Amino acid sequence: MAKSYPVLAWPAVPTPTPDEVYKGESDKAKEYALWLEENLRQSKNFEKPEALTNIRVLDCTSTMIIGHWCSSLFAELGAEVIMVEPPGGDPLRKLTPFGRREYMFKDSATGEEVGARFLAEARSKQSITLDLTKAEGREILKELVAHADVIVENAPPGQWDEWGIGYRQLSEINPRLVYCWVGQLGQWGPLKDKPGNLDPTAQAACGFVHGTGAPVAFGGTPTRSGWWMADQVGGTGAAIGIMSALYYREQVSGRGQFVEATAAAGVMRILDYNWAWYGVDGSIRPRYGNWDLAINIYAVNPCKDGQIMVGGGHDRLWYRIWRTVGKDRPDVEQHIVEDPNMREVTARLPHYRQVETYTSLCEWMKDNTRSEAETKLQAEEVASGGVSFIDEVCEFPHYKYRGHMEVIDDVHYGKVLIGSSAFIGQRTPGRVKWIGRPTGYDSEDVYRRLIGLTKAEMDSLKAKGVI
Amino acid sequence: MATVTAKMTFEEYCRSVFDPKKVFSKPEPLKGTRFLSCTQYILGPSCANYLAELGAEVIKIELPRRGEPMRHTTPFNEPKLYPLSKWMPEMGTGLGFFGANHNEYFLAVDFHKPEGQEIVRMLAAKCDGVVENYRAGTFDRWGISYRQLSQINPRLIYQWLGGFGGWGPGRKRASYDILGQAQGGCFSVTGWPLDKGGLPSKQTIWIMDYWGGMMAAFQILACMYWRDNISGLGNFMEYSQVQGAQRHLSDCIALYGRYGLVPQRWGNWDALLCVHGIIKCGKSSYPNSKNPQELEEGFILVSAYTDADFAKLMRLIRREDLEKKYATRDERIKAESQYEIYPALEEWAKDKTKEQVRDILNREGFNNQPVWNSKEVSNQEHFHLRGELEWLDDPHFGEVQSQGPAFHLSESPARHKWALKPVGADNEFILGKLCGFSKTKMAELEADGVI
Repeated sequence: MAKSYPVLAWPAVPTPTPDEVYKGESDKAKEYALWLEENLRQSKNFEKPEALTNIRVLDCTSTMIIGHWCSSLFAELGAEVIMVEPPGGDPLRKLTPFGRREYMFKDSATGEEVGARFLAEARSKQSITLDLTKAEGREILKELVAHADVIVENAPPGQWDEWGIGYRQLSEINPRLVYCWVGQLGQWGPLKDKPGNLDPTAQAACGFVHGTGAPVAFGGTPTRSGWWMADQVGGTGAAIGIMSALYYREQVSGRGQFVEATAAAGVMRILDYNWAWYGVDGSIRPRYGNWDLAINIYAVNPCKDGQIMVGGGHDRLWYRIWRTVGKDRPDVEQHIVEDPNMREVTARLPHYRQVETYTSLCEWMKDNTRSEAETKLQAEEVASGGVSFIDEVCEFPHYKYRGHMEVIDDVHYGKVLIGSSAFIGQRTPGRVKWIGRPTGYDSEDVYRRLIGLTKAEMDSLKAKGVI
Repeated sequence: MATVTAKMTFEEYCRSVFDPKKVFSKPEPLKGTRFLSCTQYILGPSCANYLAELGAEVIKIELPRRGEPMRHTTPFNEPKLYPLSKWMPEMGTGLGFFGANHNEYFLAVDFHKPEGQEIVRMLAAKCDGVVENYRAGTFDRWGISYRQLSQINPRLIYQWLGGFGGWGPGRKRASYDILGQAQGGCFSVTGWPLDKGGLPSKQTIWIMDYWGGMMAAFQILACMYWRDNISGLGNFMEYSQVQGAQRHLSDCIALYGRYGLVPQRWGNWDALLCVHGIIKCGKSSYPNSKNPQELEEGFILVSAYTDADFAKLMRLIRREDLEKKYATRDERIKAESQYEIYPALEEWAKDKTKEQVRDILNREGFNNQPVWNSKEVSNQEHFHLRGELEWLDDPHFGEVQSQGPAFHLSESPARHKWALKPVGADNEFILGKLCGFSKTKMAELEADGVI
């Protein structure tokens, strides 16, 4: 079954050079952009310091992505992140789309396989194994905690507390510890998590799924996000909470604290105006497909070879869009701009006006490919862009040029293309050092370095299945 | 204190330390820090908002009179909060503005005018940071970007946010949330496959804006940590909205880079686990409702991905044949297996509401989650008890239901003090406090349209 696949050349089309990008621009016009490049280019990242260089994070989460996502953000900004995995590894390592093992990534030395989902968030982290279901494992965790600034866990609610390693107990050992629990709906309250709850539980529970997808009249159903979006939003919330607690510890209190972040809370925080709208008049936010309830024009609609986004809510852009359309279809432009009901920004928002808008716009777009429509609209400085698939994303010149994705030439996993750190900065930019580690690869280093275990002690613990 | 909490059950302990009612008796982690928010739409404003939730004094600068565009953005042009400003009492702020501007002070300044730019310089001298999302280079041209402001205040942390970033071949392109989602790759993996009648789909939220703001807020906090504990230095950061999409889809990118795979959409099922998908129940939970939202059939997430749970679930729906056929994880997770398993579940659920399915699954011990709309979510005791939803007694707009912060802290929690204010509501307070302007001077500036 296992076939070997050649590593594809990336990029397939060469990345543009700075000379090509800034060709024909006056010195004055390109000066600011070049200053930005000089200060922000990721190729200089490793000449620069890291913001979180003296922070150590123990990521004790498994099976879901929320905790790994959270600790990735710390790792990208320089924290030492140690993943504490159960012996045998986080079960997430084994997950691969549709069970297709031929699409996993192999450690060159041992052949151990890991799926892309886990590997993408193992960046720059170390891996140790520890069995926390055993009392001896928990004693070792307590010793590790004495050396940690942050610990993140996602055990079933109250599990660690019952085991004597909850915040109440660990803060006695290390009062400076910032302890964060992450999960779907919470570790307390009437809907608290049950063992095995995973994203998209929070997506479904917070109104996201109800609101995503087309209305029934357009043949749609409630729709989940195509990736574990709620975990990634919730994990970002967790990172902000932890970081604020670290800042507060250093500036004010000298003590750590107990943090809780959930996928539901993260998504609910950013779910636009849903709660206010219901509060104002009892409205239930409807699904509105690829249109927007509150802005017109601001939508993705079909065109000749796929779908394209066109956006321009306010008047200046509104008329530019119709001017662009009018070059090919003066009748369509005339229909819209001569309609007295479409002149005010807010007057264009009711549903039947949106239907009129997009029906007219599609009259023009059906004869244009994504690329043709985009080119014509951008000539008028209108925000527009085709719906892009992953191959198109990876080859998009702007993204390649800016390093939105990069090849990590990894000691264990070979060349892996990943989405790079989104933290672009002048003095302390984010970066990815290695793509991941095989299960328990760093056990010996971490146990020796942090808690002084000898080889003999480690062998004995290994034999007992503790590490 | 410690002995009291040690005796509580874990549930009681959590309720006590995370109680949203006690939030205002606890300190704020960013007390004493100050940020300028020169932002509009959602990406920049939300970033500054997360800092304001944590206790930073955030001064939001908008154009005088009409304010920023999101104030004129509201679903179907219906809900609004009055007044827009003291100059325009007959207009209201649309709910598009809601959720990205909590706790802030609202200052109206016209950046285009030299007097307005001078006010920004005076304020930046007294700030920890600036959050800005105008077109890259615009503030530089006006003499109020990082290059100039860091001369006045070397400790300044300056976060620029925008669509495509200020350098590279697409640097002049405009972007919005939905463009970040579309051209960034998010649409391509969300929605049903074509043979199920689906198209690439938007995430309902302005996620690339709101979540991008979170990413930038995290980076700002890390830079504050570095400045105040290690280096004493300020920083300049750039956040590109379209890049956020690639960060989200890193695993898809890895599969493309190694194997040339182009991950596609898989509807409400899951490519990694089975059963772990959302199914349609045949009956509406509210058949007599006048709201078409409530007449729809219900949907529910069903989760039974271990061998034992799957076998039990198939027995529950009387499909022992599938139990045998798909006994192992590797068999179940295949695409063609999912095309057989989920329809079988929907067949079983077709004469039930989502609550009936939930009750059966709860009784049998299966993880599940009904798909709730914003009314159903708003009525969950869980979210109000925990502070994920809250009723704010807003000084300008009265009782408004709001989202709470995205996380809970036991000692220095984030909080919401007010939802928003009219345009320029804090002109006198901020300009008096930080710029020392007199009543006469402010009246002149107002007459000239500067504030």
